[in-house]
Amino acid sequence: MIRISIQERENWQELAKEVGFQFHTIDGEKYWDESACYRFTLEQIEQDIEDPTAELEQMCFQAVDRVINDESLMEKLAIPQPYWDYVRSSWQNRERNLYGRMDFSYDGKSPAKLLEYNADTPTSLYESAAFQWVWMEQAMEQGLIPPDCDQFNSIHEQLISAFRAMEIDGTLHMAACQGSLEDEGTVLYLEECATQAHVKTHFIHMEEIGIDADGRLTDLQDNVITNLFKLYPWEWMMREEFGEAMPTSGVTFIEPAWKTILSNKGILPVLWEMFEGHPNLLPSYFMEDAHKLTGGFAKKPIYSREGAGVSLHENGQTLEEVKGPYGEEGHIVQALHPLPVFEGNHAVIGSWLVASQPSGIGIREDNSAITKDTSRFVPHVIRE
Amino acid sequence: MKRSKSLKLALMGATILTMSACDNTEDTAAIFKDVDECAQFEGENLDQCRQGWEQAAEEHVRTAPKYTSIAECQADFGEEQCEQAPQQTSSGGSVFMPMMMGYMMGSMLANGTRSNVATQPLYRSKDDPKTFRTGDNQKVSTKTGVQPVPSTVTKAPSTKTSTVRRGGFGTTAARTSTSSRSYGG
Repeated sequence: MIRISIQERENWQELAKEVGFQFHTIDGEKYWDESACYRFTLEQIEQDIEDPTAELEQMCFQAVDRVINDESLMEKLAIPQPYWDYVRSSWQNRERNLYGRMDFSYDGKSPAKLLEYNADTPTSLYESAAFQWVWMEQAMEQGLIPPDCDQFNSIHEQLISAFRAMEIDGTLHMAACQGSLEDEGTVLYLEECATQAHVKTHFIHMEEIGIDADGRLTDLQDNVITNLFKLYPWEWMMREEFGEAMPTSGVTFIEPAWKTILSNKGILPVLWEMFEGHPNLLPSYFMEDAHKLTGGFAKKPIYSREGAGVSLHENGQTLEEVKGPYGEEGHIVQALHPLPVFEGNHAVIGSWLVASQPSGIGIREDNSAITKDTSRFVPHVIRE
Repeated sequence: MKRSKSLKLALMGATILTMSACDNTEDTAAIFKDVDECAQFEGENLDQCRQGWEQAAEEHVRTAPKYTSIAECQADFGEEQCEQAPQQTSSGGSVFMPMMMGYMMGSMLANGTRSNVATQPLYRSKDDPKTFRTGDNQKVSTKTGVQPVPSTVTKAPSTKTSTVRRGGFGTTAARTSTSSRSYGG
């Protein structure tokens, strides 16, 4: 795994505009960054990322099994009690999941360590699946990189077959929040994949969803919603006004409700307790057991996104902290395992799962040790 | 190879037209304004026509657009074109829907079954009264009889209801942040 400075494609901004990648630059700061790329060997990809991702997913399934059968863990994960049965039955009915992203700290040499699993509302999907893919094809064509490169990235193909396998009956409504270009872009991309799988889609903002007298969810044309992809966290939906309608609304949700267990930082101490010493896990504990950690640690809110509310501590000092609105539901601690630094850039590997199968990676760099929503996306290649 | 073999982005990019052009498949459907017209059509018989009509009428209750005032319904479908639906609002109020103006089903095949078209009611809107539309407001055709129609209109239409309230999702996002660019992560 090395970082290589390369030449940018001359026209990439125009291309981005043409294919609807509107958030490549955010508030004047570069988000898509092709002035460099990461190069991996096939062995690094397959043995150090792909295989561990598949194995961790199986471990996560065992952890979900454990949590749904243990009310004290449901409590620790701050899953509201009225939804326990609903979450349980979504798992017991094997409701299909679409995608997720495991974030790893990996330096190309030692085992990749799972930092967290964004199993419910992962973004950076479009740039990983599509724009990164197009970048490599064009960069090879233009001679900016050698012509025999490969990429760990079958996300696009996998998404289409996952949608096909879901055998969605009727329309799939697809929702994002108002006011986020990035989230709308992600949903638009997924809509595209669903359409290519011959699924009929209909976009709606979360705020526009309605409810009828029988507690069914509706769109703006008063159609009853029966399938809903929501780029909106389960833990928020459960605490909002229409939340209580969900279990009896007849809606099949993507992601399914059991994903709220995996996207929860509380899954990290559960995994550690079940698989202590596993090479891809970091020691993690709920706050009451925090004293078991020696050395530096990261403190993370149970519910947190884009690094918000995360702080890093060592020798009684706070190394770094990102302020954020999260944390009222509690925290976990995780042994400190700083991201590798390549020419001043802290790099995190997002390992994508589609229908629980490892399908590709996307790399984000940040100037500081905590990856935030101001990080930059840098493409990668596989070449011996 | 560890990457997708091909990648096509139609909706998001400029290639949208080529994409929809090759995706334009058609089904053969039988469209009639009532049982009588159907029964007179070659290859159909009264029993089957009636059966199709009854099925479409049942779908009509489920899939017709719903209104809580007759005036709103008439604004979309015209005077004398609306009727009371069997549904009620949560407070016991009346619900209205347009009348069924025709029906669509699969065309009769040689083996006595019908082509793969969901049997359903058809409507005519006030601003475009010549065109039959599905309960999902998709244009089907201006004429009756057996004919090719876009396969996008032959699926079962969605259930219609009347929304009593909106805005029950999204409040956490509104409260949580104005600076974050994504609510995912």
